Amino acid sequence: MSRVFLGITGISLMATMVGATSAGAQVLDHKDISLAMATTIALTAIEACKASGYNVSVHVLGRNGETIVALRNEKAGTNTFELSMKKAYTARTYRQPSGKFADNVGQNPVAPQLMLTNIVAARGALPIMIGEQTIGAVGVSGAPGGDKDEACAQAGIDKVAADLK
Amino acid sequence: MLKTSYGMAAVALAGCLTAAAQAQVITTKQLSLPTAVTIATTAVETCKAQGYRVSVHVIGNMGEVLVAMRGDDTGPHTMENSMRKALTSRATRLPSGQFADNVAKTPSAAGLRLGNMIPARGGLPIEVGEDVIAAVGVSGSPGGDKDEACAQAGIDKVADQLN
Repeated sequence: MSRVFLGITGISLMATMVGATSAGAQVLDHKDISLAMATTIALTAIEACKASGYNVSVHVLGRNGETIVALRNEKAGTNTFELSMKKAYTARTYRQPSGKFADNVGQNPVAPQLMLTNIVAARGALPIMIGEQTIGAVGVSGAPGGDKDEACAQAGIDKVAADLK
Repeated sequence: MLKTSYGMAAVALAGCLTAAAQAQVITTKQLSLPTAVTIATTAVETCKAQGYRVSVHVIGNMGEVLVAMRGDDTGPHTMENSMRKALTSRATRLPSGQFADNVAKTPSAAGLRLGNMIPARGGLPIEVGEDVIAAVGVSGSPGGDKDEACAQAGIDKVADQLN
């Protein structure tokens, strides 16, 4: 029964693939964050936190988790540079705020996700999205509390909201 | 004899140490983040205006990354390369192109065996007077001379702040 079902699934999958092949091996067309946009997001996040009296470092990562902009605030703690990157990487990978990821895995000390490189259960990063699609992430570290880091990340995204389309 | 000379050296060293006024802290200068951002942005824009897609790193006194910028549509290696050019400039206190020239005739140069050093033009030290306090590296232009010109443009932009 199970095998029959798998067989049917396999046939329909092949049909789908054949269909795609006959339509041509097309390239993927997607949108990415420009350096100008990433710089605006990062500087806005830094300024937003500074206005609240917090010195933070910021990373803006692209679709593949690559760094587009990294800013080390000389008045922020040494760890903030690394942590802002890891938060952003987490938000990009799981397509959700890193704080939400932290809530989800925080109850499970052996969550395998936490054993992956650059994944961290800490609030302060947000995915950068066009509609439902995650095209990158911004991570902030240095404020006294992940909620405050996240607010600055949100300020950065809000600044370019009109261009995220 | 040897032991004696060590002993004398130790005495002399101790004399120097105690002779130092106090155990004073060292005051060093550091690039501010806004200055580093201006250098990086100017370098990217200068190259872009000439049709070159580059990435830029500005690093601080200890080689720490202050600003990293990946230019639009640049080659994937440009981020690493710009960082390594900057680090080479900081470490040698020279334009990375000068380091490249220096080691060209000595492929066994020890400097090439150190982590992240690279004999490639496009990195410049950032100086306050005689002191190197940081460095900027550019990668992506068709030629290290062009990378270096963009790095220089970045430094020139903040020249009045480097004092």
